[in-house]
Amino acid sequence: MTATTIGDQLAGPAVSAPPPRPKARAGPVEWIIVHIAFVAISAFFLVPFLWLLSAAFDGKASAYLQLPVEPTIMNFVRIFTEHDFAHVLANSVFVAVATMILVVFSVSLAGYSLSRLDLRRKDWITYAVLLLQTMPISATMVPIYGLARQLGLRNSYLGLILIHAAIELPFLIWLMKGFFDSIPRHLEEAAWLDGRSKLRALYEIVLPLARPGLGIAAGLAFLSAWAEVLMVVILIDQDNLKTVPLAFYEAMRTQGGYTEVQFGVIAAMAVIYLLPVMVVFFAARRLMVRGLMSSTRGL
Amino acid sequence: MAVVRRGRLARNRLYLAGLSPAAFLLALFFVGPALWALGSSFTNRALVGIDAANPRFVGLDNYVRLFGDPDFGRVILNSVIFVIGSAIIGQFVLGLGLALLLDYAQRRGFLASNFVYAAVLLAWVNPTIIAGFLWVAMFDFYNGSLNTGLHVLGVQPINWLGQGPMLAVIIANTWRGAAFTMLIFLGALRTIPTDIYEAARVDGANAYRRFWDHTLPILRPIAALTLLSITMATFGTFILIQTLTNGGPAFQTEVIALYAFHEAFQNHAVGYGSTISVVMLALNLGFAIVFLRWSRARA
Amino acid sequence: MADVEFDEVWKQFASQTAAAVQGLSLAIPDRELLVLLGPSGCGKTTALRMLAGLEEPDRGDIRIGGKSVVGLEPKDRDVALVFQSYALYPHLSAQDNIGYPLKVRNLSRQDQQDKVKRVAELLGIGHLLPRRPAQLSGGEQQRVALARAIVREPRVFLMDEPLSNLDAKLRVHTRTELKTLQRDLGTTMVFVTHDQAEAMSLANRIAVLNAGELQQIGTPDEVYDRPANVFVAEFIGSPPMNLLDASRDGDALVVAGGWRIPAPGAATARNGTVRVGLRPEGITIDPDGQAAEVVAVEPFGSEVIIDVRVGDQHLKIRAAPDVRPEPGSNVGLRADPGAVRLFDRSTGVAVR
Repeated sequence: MTATTIGDQLAGPAVSAPPPRPKARAGPVEWIIVHIAFVAISAFFLVPFLWLLSAAFDGKASAYLQLPVEPTIMNFVRIFTEHDFAHVLANSVFVAVATMILVVFSVSLAGYSLSRLDLRRKDWITYAVLLLQTMPISATMVPIYGLARQLGLRNSYLGLILIHAAIELPFLIWLMKGFFDSIPRHLEEAAWLDGRSKLRALYEIVLPLARPGLGIAAGLAFLSAWAEVLMVVILIDQDNLKTVPLAFYEAMRTQGGYTEVQFGVIAAMAVIYLLPVMVVFFAARRLMVRGLMSSTRGL
Repeated sequence: MAVVRRGRLARNRLYLAGLSPAAFLLALFFVGPALWALGSSFTNRALVGIDAANPRFVGLDNYVRLFGDPDFGRVILNSVIFVIGSAIIGQFVLGLGLALLLDYAQRRGFLASNFVYAAVLLAWVNPTIIAGFLWVAMFDFYNGSLNTGLHVLGVQPINWLGQGPMLAVIIANTWRGAAFTMLIFLGALRTIPTDIYEAARVDGANAYRRFWDHTLPILRPIAALTLLSITMATFGTFILIQTLTNGGPAFQTEVIALYAFHEAFQNHAVGYGSTISVVMLALNLGFAIVFLRWSRARA
Repeated sequence: MADVEFDEVWKQFASQTAAAVQGLSLAIPDRELLVLLGPSGCGKTTALRMLAGLEEPDRGDIRIGGKSVVGLEPKDRDVALVFQSYALYPHLSAQDNIGYPLKVRNLSRQDQQDKVKRVAELLGIGHLLPRRPAQLSGGEQQRVALARAIVREPRVFLMDEPLSNLDAKLRVHTRTELKTLQRDLGTTMVFVTHDQAEAMSLANRIAVLNAGELQQIGTPDEVYDRPANVFVAEFIGSPPMNLLDASRDGDALVVAGGWRIPAPGAATARNGTVRVGLRPEGITIDPDGQAAEVVAVEPFGSEVIIDVRVGDQHLKIRAAPDVRPEPGSNVGLRADPGAVRLFDRSTGVAVR
């Protein structure tokens, strides 16, 4: 019997990877211990948020973790009527969106250029970018104040947007470079041969392929600008230009003793302020995580 | 020959041009401030008064004063304690523990682990100013959740922000930053196929043995780099500490970023504040060079 | 060395609707090489893992050397397992990999080195000891995994498709080596595979499983010549056994195209219908035989497989390498009465 040749050929496709095995069930003791740990950990990480939700809807909110003593939506009403929150919120939206647009533009251009650059010293540029990424922004607060004052960029969104875009550039350039690296050059080279100019080829052929990367960059740029507080504190002190973080900052600064903090109202502001963050977080958890992983600045 | 070389350079010229918007922004807002801080540190520039209009060149006076000032010594000590407590002990250990727990739980099919994972991430992903607000509430003496919890356990309430400020900011920052180390270690742990652990079981290794012989060797190489990463990120902490204690009471939590800020904006000594910023940047540069060297060695 | 017994073993995973292993009972005498054969998902790997102690049965007993091992940790069962993926410790050298079970048992360094050296030389990998798994080829990794199992001198060897990841030539070569090795070591071995040729060449006995149930257990010859049901008949042998629906007509069976096959005198199923099984070598080309149209001719060097059509059925015939009818032409077929196997049409069980 020619088992060797025919048998091997007719035996069917060789299974290279074993099928995923169903997981073994854990014993009861193990189950209890693990879930106790889970409860403790979740409590530590979530209690502050639970408190926040409760306080936002509580007319008599205090630091105490409890169901609303006086359930109400008045906090939310008050921030818009008494505290001009809509204006501040709109400012934040404007700044964040403008920053996002500027960032995406300069980062896609820079990422693409860095990816396609063909110089011996190319690695130096990449390392320089990485080096910049590690700089703590809090160390630049004082000089940026001085510089902005001399350049007349204080209390102007132009200054704020430019500076914030600059802050986000190093990491996002590195991110986009990675994306562009994975797009083969043949595609744009084919377009060049067809007669397209470099810029048009980039716009028509390469960018559409880099869309997921651009999406990540845009999302991260937006969220980063949305949360930005250091530069806002330094650069803005006119009321009508305030963004939400600055409003918070001032609300916290002016507290004399603990009891004077208007927890309910500030909590309501926080809840609204957190909404975009939560939306992005739940929609794109994995992407967000990957992005933030390399951009921890420590505020 | 000459034609080819010119072509190569010409192509690169376009890419270098593509880098220019980003480079411009980076130069203006990274390199610029660093240089400005350096320059300003040699002057007695102030925010108001004569020294604001006509700052005088004072050479290394600021540096001499800084390094001779016991306050600065205190600030360095605080920063070191904060970094050790929050980054090294807090975030690193907690992050590692979380990674080990979640990796184990996921392999054993505990579905709740996804929930815990999301909870830890949420603390990291939300804007820092919100984290500050949340923990002001947590540390509230009369109603905050921490003291409430202690009360339930029959322990006396602690005046966190008043009498244990360093511990308080360490706890808050650990809460905030544990996710980072967790993600790095989890990434490494997930590269170990379950087969390996099963083979070790069949070979006769008990749980402790399996951890020591097979888990630890995977974690050891990245531990040093991760530790350095988290140290660098924690070193520049500003907003969280400012909202909780503003460096006090009595200088107990004055870390280096806060010191620069206070000197420049409360004591109006911008030149002196720049000096501190320069020291911060220099320290960070040192870390960054070590970081780059270590990560290139690993690659 | 020990014998192995499965006693009415049941196993169901919470995430699946059907039980992975249903009422499995097997007795494997000491020193036997038993192959668990079946398609993916048939429960063979689950059965092996229960034997190793990586899973526990819901019902039933598993015994090694006469003593129940249910509830015992893998390390207390004195069994060795070679994984399909080899599961070599990536951060350890081949030497440390092989020596790991000895290290866990706190053998002296010298003892460890000696034993590892001996086993490595037995398998011809002595020169590879300092290398890491990543620096070894697939075949070399497989031998390291094997060495790690052998060095422990266990009571039972368990192998989970250890040859699947090797390329065809190496697979065949290693098969023979394994068979010789097992015979020389004299240790009971339970070998899991989905490859029937592998099973046939290796096994002392084959246990065929499908959907968690044992279909048949017997020597390769028994399983090949006397399949217990249609599943085994089709799974073993390649090309697979030809199966045709037939009805009884006196002394013969009538199949497609009116072909009358002399029946071996056995009874048919009660309803008068039956399925007839004929292995490719049980049909010969005979000019006076049943007419059939040649569809394809597949030469394999040492033989020829001819695909023919009789009525509306396709058959494969094994013939001598020089038999080369033209596709489209007609040939005559004759069935060897001794090769006829009968199966109940509804249950698929073999009819004697």
